[in-house]
Amino acid sequence: MNTLIALIVGAATFYLGYSFYAKRIDEKIIKSDPKKATPAKMYMDGVDFSPASRNILYGYQFKSIAAAGPIVGAITAAGLWGWLPALLWLILGVTFVGWVQDYSAMMMAARRDGDSISAIAYKLVSPRSRTILLIFLFLYLLLIAGAFGNLLAGVLTNPTIPLGITMLALAGLLGGQMLYRWKMDIAVVTIVTVGLTLLVIALGPVAAVQGAVKGFNGWLDALNANQPIVSLFDPTAAAYAGGFVNIKVSYVFWLTFVAVFSYLGAALPVWRYAQPVNYVGFWIMALTILGGALGAAIAFFVKPELANFALPAFKVWDAGVKGTLQPLWPMLFVTIACGAISGWHALVSTVGTARQLENETDALPVGAGSMFSEMLLGVLALMAVSVAGKGVGAAAFATGVGNFLSIFGLDPKYGSALALAAFVIIVITVMQLVIRFMRVALTEALGDAMPIMRNLHVGTITSLVCMFLVVLTGTFVYLWQLFGGANQLMASLALMLVTLWLVSERRNALYAALPMLFMYVTTIAANLVTAWNLWAGVVQPGLGKANYEVVVFGGLLMIAIALLLVLLALFIGWDAWQSYSRMKSQQRAGVEAPA
Amino acid sequence: MVGGERGLTQTMSRVKDFIYGLLFYDFTLYALRTRASIESLFLLVTLGDLIGLPIMPPYYSLRILPYVVPNIAAWKRRMLREKDLLETDVMGMMSG
Repeated sequence: MNTLIALIVGAATFYLGYSFYAKRIDEKIIKSDPKKATPAKMYMDGVDFSPASRNILYGYQFKSIAAAGPIVGAITAAGLWGWLPALLWLILGVTFVGWVQDYSAMMMAARRDGDSISAIAYKLVSPRSRTILLIFLFLYLLLIAGAFGNLLAGVLTNPTIPLGITMLALAGLLGGQMLYRWKMDIAVVTIVTVGLTLLVIALGPVAAVQGAVKGFNGWLDALNANQPIVSLFDPTAAAYAGGFVNIKVSYVFWLTFVAVFSYLGAALPVWRYAQPVNYVGFWIMALTILGGALGAAIAFFVKPELANFALPAFKVWDAGVKGTLQPLWPMLFVTIACGAISGWHALVSTVGTARQLENETDALPVGAGSMFSEMLLGVLALMAVSVAGKGVGAAAFATGVGNFLSIFGLDPKYGSALALAAFVIIVITVMQLVIRFMRVALTEALGDAMPIMRNLHVGTITSLVCMFLVVLTGTFVYLWQLFGGANQLMASLALMLVTLWLVSERRNALYAALPMLFMYVTTIAANLVTAWNLWAGVVQPGLGKANYEVVVFGGLLMIAIALLLVLLALFIGWDAWQSYSRMKSQQRAGVEAPA
Repeated sequence: MVGGERGLTQTMSRVKDFIYGLLFYDFTLYALRTRASIESLFLLVTLGDLIGLPIMPPYYSLRILPYVVPNIAAWKRRMLREKDLLETDVMGMMSG
């Protein structure tokens, strides 16, 4: 296998899935009509409800759904089971499940006055399903903060990275000042901030800089006599053979750095920090991904040895080690969350894009087109980690992209440093927004009962404490899979709503119902497996040991979250079944379908 | 030849729109939201009685009315629409 074939497979999936399946569903079942007034036209308020061209919305939707998710999921899954299962799920998942959810949720919202997914759940299923969906959302945010916090703290201990990320924060502050206070041209702001950040990232691999950061990390670890604070068993350590990961003082320091970065994003005005950091970060990511994709495409012709996959196609059916379980089914389907299907997309599609559609017919290229494009990003990440062959997760991804960039004459050492920095930037820019979102969610949920939660700083610090608690108590793979579980359950709930909507309109709902059933059963099973893994891998080994109280507490907390997710999914599934039966009996009795 | 040029112009315009959507559209939305919130506040103070919140004496409201007539319908929709937790200021910037 090589990069060219993988790219052809990805592009062929896009073409065939979009042209022969998505278009058919749009024409035969949804029957999108360019003459029908969209919410953007009916309820135009100049802000949220405002028509925009399909090309703008395609870019906007793609940006909103494609970032760290498709990259992290693909590289983690490839490491656990090999590249073939990951590639198969990416292409089959997006063709039969992913675009179905994004596009159908968008059309459902467009046909229901631009209602958000929680409002639709309230009306179509039951009042409590709205509350359940919001609890899902909060747990989703908490778990993504935990998974990304864990990932970032680990990668930031790499001495090539911290300088570039510090520069990103400063470039964000500078960008906000230049753009909004000094009213400078966006082109100048872009050149200065992105250029400065790239320059400092390039300094990362310089020996003197590396030596200084290493020395600093060493000094931090010496504060605890170079001893770990705790050691956690990580099934992905030692090239997926399993091993112990030491949490040292330097790890906690870089986690605190991530928290400060996110605190600024959550507490400062959006224009001052969050938005410009996001903007600068996006450029770095886009340049790296674009360069990497071009390099992957031409590597086959220029340097074939760089284009060949070194990772095994298939490793094992069950990648679990030492009493933990990682069976291909159901774990692959939550490990690769975005890229194949993601519940997050349904939120974006309903409260964001659906309210800005100029014509109903735009939903197909915007919703389905963006999802197929995101799959290509997942395939690119998979290619990078597959050609690298060795290393785990982010490091393997960076080595692969560094190889692709070396096609253009860039030293692989600098290419890898740029790729690793771009990876960290993608993750940390999402992280700061997640903490801001958590703060808002906490204020909404607890503000009335606990007025102190309305305070901006209290809300932010509470969110960060939750993140710390989760990060310090789990290994990345469990956090990621639990996040994937919450995300994929949201996806199956979105598909459930689409199914009910189609039934209520007496349309053929099979194309949404079958993926919904598959995702619903698979994700519930995956959450139960993760709960077992947390018990066997985190809680049980730590019971009764000194210094492991926080680890055990956090492990139990995450088990509780896993079981809560399952319980809530069963509740909402039951409510949806009741709603379905009601609709069917009304239809049999000849009651008209709701408009 | 003319058809080819038109095709190229059209493709360039699509790419331009895509990049605008990818990079700058959330800036536009943020600016629009900021302007809308200031405008909403102004209209609430001056014409609050239109949605059941009389704050200013009607005399001043009537003096301002001709200038704000074009904005009233959109303002009422913005103010009276049920809002969701998902509609936070960062929703447009978040990525999956």
